[in-house]
Amino acid sequence: MKKRILIVDDDPNILDYLEALFKDNGYDAYTARDAKEGLKMAMEHKPDLVTLDIEMPGDWGPRFYRQMIQEKSLKNVPVIVISGLSGNVHAIPKAIASIKKPFDREKLLGIVKDAIG
Amino acid sequence: MFTKILFATSATKESDHAARVAFNIAGSYDAHLDIFHVPGVPSRGYSQVVVDVKTKERVDVDDDYLEWVKDEIRTYYAKYLENGLRYDITVAIGFPAREILRQAKDTEPDLILLGGSTGDEEEAVYKKSMAGTTLQKIARSAKCPVLVVNRPAASFWGGLSNITFGTDFSKASDKAFEFAMKVAKNLDCELNVFHALDITSGATGEMLSQDEIEQKIREALRMIRGRYESRLKELKHYSMDVWEGIPFIEIVKYARDIHSDLIVMAHHSKKTEKADAILGSNVEQVIVRAGCPVISVNR
Repeated sequence: MKKRILIVDDDPNILDYLEALFKDNGYDAYTARDAKEGLKMAMEHKPDLVTLDIEMPGDWGPRFYRQMIQEKSLKNVPVIVISGLSGNVHAIPKAIASIKKPFDREKLLGIVKDAIG
Repeated sequence: MFTKILFATSATKESDHAARVAFNIAGSYDAHLDIFHVPGVPSRGYSQVVVDVKTKERVDVDDDYLEWVKDEIRTYYAKYLENGLRYDITVAIGFPAREILRQAKDTEPDLILLGGSTGDEEEAVYKKSMAGTTLQKIARSAKCPVLVVNRPAASFWGGLSNITFGTDFSKASDKAFEFAMKVAKNLDCELNVFHALDITSGATGEMLSQDEIEQKIREALRMIRGRYESRLKELKHYSMDVWEGIPFIEIVKYARDIHSDLIVMAHHSKKTEKADAILGSNVEQVIVRAGCPVISVNR
């Protein structure tokens, strides 16, 4: 069974790019344009990993994360922060990695593979 | 909630994380932002020759220099200022703590916002000229709450929704609680009342048994309920907790654990001995270490 990745980002170009990147590399990918939609998708698809932008319209990434981990089944889902914001490594202390945009696709895929295979 | 914010900044990268908080809070809550900068410290006395904070060079102060500094600040924060934010830029020569307090006295903000250190001890122009830190002096003397963002980790990550209020059950803490309640109500935040039971031998005079610690925790929880719960019921979401340990460490840990985006504490709610003052009170230690902004309420 394919591993599922949820991509939460307000930039449609990033969503398209990451969705194609993950699908091309054997994952199922789902996209959400904001925290609200992200939470809905997370509940529905129970992802194995989430990539998360920090600064988004409405709730920011950290609030999405806080709400997501309230759900027992999503509490330990690994999160990769992908953001252009400076200091993003501090935004979600429990994130498994924080990557600054623009990012190296091979590096990202390496982190994803290490986390969920 | 916040209508007038005084943001004291070095306008250097050391203040960037505080700037993000200042501009986001001002933007989110439609507050007027007074961007205040002390560009130089007099080389001696009331001399017009100052040591420039950025270049560390000696500069003759005149109107051109001050206008140039304002322009520099406007340029430095250009990306934040283009969104219709209401703001002023004020510059003043002198010792930062004194000038910031003077500006606060003149403009009567409802919040003073400060960044962290401006550099290491050897390099920092401000610190060299100060006995104690700017931050300590302002937190101790300001008439309004002081919000400090000391570390990049404590910057703005998307709004205020979860507040930790640290109490030591003093009258000063009660004042800080009123402020925390006001913020929680106005911004629809969860308010978590927390007490750290000091079990260091300096505080207890002996090593407590686990039974004694747990008894003290129960007592502290009863005190929280008695003192705050009737008011907390006015909020949609609240909690009450007591942890044992070194108080400032436990408060920082607790806030991190529950993903708080703001800590509210009273300043100097208990008098510190002279020796402790060097290290700073609990709130000063929390300010230095916290992973979110800290508001210190002085009176």
